[in-house]
Amino acid sequence: MHKRRIRRSPGEMAFDGFNVLFMILLCVIMIYPFWYVMILAFNTGADAQYGGIYVWPRVFTLENFVYVFKYQTLRSAAVVTVARCLVSSVFGVSICMMTAFSLSKTRLPGRRAIIIFFMIPMFIGGTVVSNYIVMAKLKLINNFLVFVLPGAFSYFTAVVMRSFIDNQPIELQESALMDGANNYQIFFRIIVPLAKATIAAFLFFAVVGNWLDVTTNVLYITKKQLYTLQYVMMNVIKSTEARSIIDTSSTQMAKQIQTIQDMAYQPPTPQVIKMAIMAVVTFPLLFIYPFFQKYFVKGMLTGAVKA
Amino acid sequence: MKRKSYSIDRVNVSALYVFLAPALVLTLVFGYLPMFSNIIAFLDYNIAKGWFGLASPFVGFKNFAFLRQSWFYGIMGRTVWYSFAGLVFGFPASLLLALLFNELRHLRFKKVVQTISYVPNFVSWVTISGLVYTFLSYESDGILNNILEKLFHMQRVSYMQDPKYFLAVLIITGIWKGVGWGTILYMAALSTIDEQIYEAAEVDGAGRLAKVTHITFPGLIPTFSILLIFAMGGLFRTNFDQMFNLQNAVLRDRVNTIDLYTYFNGVVNGQYSLSTAVGLFQGVVSMILVLGTNYVTKKLNGVGIY
Repeated sequence: MHKRRIRRSPGEMAFDGFNVLFMILLCVIMIYPFWYVMILAFNTGADAQYGGIYVWPRVFTLENFVYVFKYQTLRSAAVVTVARCLVSSVFGVSICMMTAFSLSKTRLPGRRAIIIFFMIPMFIGGTVVSNYIVMAKLKLINNFLVFVLPGAFSYFTAVVMRSFIDNQPIELQESALMDGANNYQIFFRIIVPLAKATIAAFLFFAVVGNWLDVTTNVLYITKKQLYTLQYVMMNVIKSTEARSIIDTSSTQMAKQIQTIQDMAYQPPTPQVIKMAIMAVVTFPLLFIYPFFQKYFVKGMLTGAVKA
Repeated sequence: MKRKSYSIDRVNVSALYVFLAPALVLTLVFGYLPMFSNIIAFLDYNIAKGWFGLASPFVGFKNFAFLRQSWFYGIMGRTVWYSFAGLVFGFPASLLLALLFNELRHLRFKKVVQTISYVPNFVSWVTISGLVYTFLSYESDGILNNILEKLFHMQRVSYMQDPKYFLAVLIITGIWKGVGWGTILYMAALSTIDEQIYEAAEVDGAGRLAKVTHITFPGLIPTFSILLIFAMGGLFRTNFDQMFNLQNAVLRDRVNTIDLYTYFNGVVNGQYSLSTAVGLFQGVVSMILVLGTNYVTKKLNGVGIY
């Protein structure tokens, strides 16, 4: 940013002041909704229904989370979500990287035709229905692979990766060639180690995309064993699922409660259960992302510059 | 970086095709197959008839009769209106925020604010719908109702049951999610502006405002144009994730857009041919919009993407 040596006029100082105030307000708007979710999730349901909780939990409890973690569907959804994040990001990034390497060879016979082949579907793709029919005919409905295969290859990603490979000194590959390396060795021993940061950036992108995706479930999954965290959260938010979580967990806990003889015991309400689920599903990514922000921004920019 | 022909390209070519194979297969299956499956828009489609249902009778443009029916124009008009409104408010928001970021002097503060502004980008529309339904709730946790009641003694309103608030919800959630992330491209464009231009302007007596309007802002125009091309292509669609998560059974018919329609009518209700026809029409118009905008901006200021 440019230095400003000239002294600030009163008008400029007022502007700077307002700007800083605006930024603080912006931060509050961006953060507070999550804070609100958090404090309600840590508050007892019986108390939360009276409202008025804005800054701090009024009657603190961890019980909502106990109920949520007892919810079997959420636990299996966590496994499915982590599995699909790992499998599809590694699979997708590998394919894009391999494609990028091949396309970086400008003399590859048929290269032009291959590029056109990749580009056409970017303009005219399938519709919701034609996609659905293809998935159905390929037996991908209620199949774990529907999380992995359709989104694995992105020509756009491959182009960004190719621009990275193009920017590496060609001499590295040439000298390896002199030493008798073939293209497999050049790819795995030279290109991949060089591209570590780029690969990391795209892996994170893919993990985020997979973590946040719910449309795949909406369109192609009806089987409970393949629910993802986002889908479970959607059911809890949109339907009366929260009620049944409370009921099942309550029966499980009934014995325990009877021994305490606590007649005044009140189970959580759907309201706070929703909040606890939102916290559990949403926050992991929010806490990880600042550490990887560097890569995200870099990946985003290389992509944009190429486009 | 342009490269001359290297002998390296001629060695062990088979490996290169092996590397390309998975991408080619996936593109064929998940790019071309759905594209060709669009022909069901011209069939009286029955999924059970023959392989892929391709033995269904050919009916020509019969499924496109919706183009002469008024219900379709209601949905189409709403689609364009929603995405246009989202564009008008959402698009300048990032540009403006980038300009304000650029004027922050304290670098550490600037970095923290930027990081925080990216946060909503890492949140799904499911979470956002949860937040919206909580904040706009009629119950005691509905913050908006609480504030309006306390400060202005207004009646409590169930916002998410009334279609007239829906567009505002779309616009505001769209901005909230995207405004920070959208600044990244603009900030990158700003960082490429030569320092010396600002210094020269200072020597010529330009104030801070003059520098913004004559240097910073023009520096953002190419980025703005490219983003506009992409956005124009989206004018004929709404964000399915956003629409699907924010709508509910009460609102559905009153906020229906092409994307919701093709999903509910096609995938849920099984009217495959009609929904594909509608979706195909949407796809073709979108493509024309992208190519058209690209052509015009290229003519106007030499910036294009294709």
